[in-house]
Amino acid sequence: MKQQSKLSARQQEEQTAELRAAKAAGRQFDSVEELIRYDAGQTLVPPGIAQRLRQSISQSESPPRGWWRRLLD
Amino acid sequence: MPPEPPSAEHHVLPEEFGDLYDRHSRAIYYLALRYLGDPQKAEDATHDVFLKAIRRLDQFRGEATARTWLYRIAINHCHNLQQAWHDRHVVASSDSAIWEITPGDDSPLRILETKELGHRIQITLDALPAEYRLLLLLISDQELSYGQIGALTDQSTDAVRGKLHRARKAFAAIFAKTE
Repeated sequence: MKQQSKLSARQQEEQTAELRAAKAAGRQFDSVEELIRYDAGQTLVPPGIAQRLRQSISQSESPPRGWWRRLLD
Repeated sequence: MPPEPPSAEHHVLPEEFGDLYDRHSRAIYYLALRYLGDPQKAEDATHDVFLKAIRRLDQFRGEATARTWLYRIAINHCHNLQQAWHDRHVVASSDSAIWEITPGDDSPLRILETKELGHRIQITLDALPAEYRLLLLLISDQELSYGQIGALTDQSTDAVRGKLHRARKAFAAIFAKTE
């Protein structure tokens, strides 16, 4: 049991060390979530999606009133 | 534990859909991008998810937050896309094929580094079981709680915690090999 917790602690240390070693653009990350969150923050939504949505809505029979106009602003 | 989402967005009206898109499109696009692993598919999926949301707006009762409602549509949509793809193709082992991919080298340094990070994350996520991939993407959204992730993935909070523990370990081990 004690051996198992030692093993688990060692694995955790290795995991943390691997992530800390994962330098990207001069940054270090302490958790997988932080790494993914950073990547998400760097990811831009292609502007073409809003345009396509506006077109799709305008082609539908009864588009919801008004909301899509904000996409044009 | 991630904080509980704000309750202010429980009553979404059609007129507010522009705000809904502005607020949630990045999260939905990112989920689709990293889950599907293809920018064009992610763009199509994001368009389709919001179009479905617009058409089903009357079904949104405010029992969930707008974020979780959109995630549910996105997860179902991405699952369907992947299932359709799997039905048409023989799936190659990601373990054997994915390591041959190398980052591009035609961009300025900062962009190269950012692209490299995204590339490594994508390689790592692709090598994980789909369930682990999804759980890691969802838990990285600070607007979602473990309970909401459990509801989105049809399992208990304890099951989410246990699987996330294993998913984090698997991610770290694979990510280290992408250097």
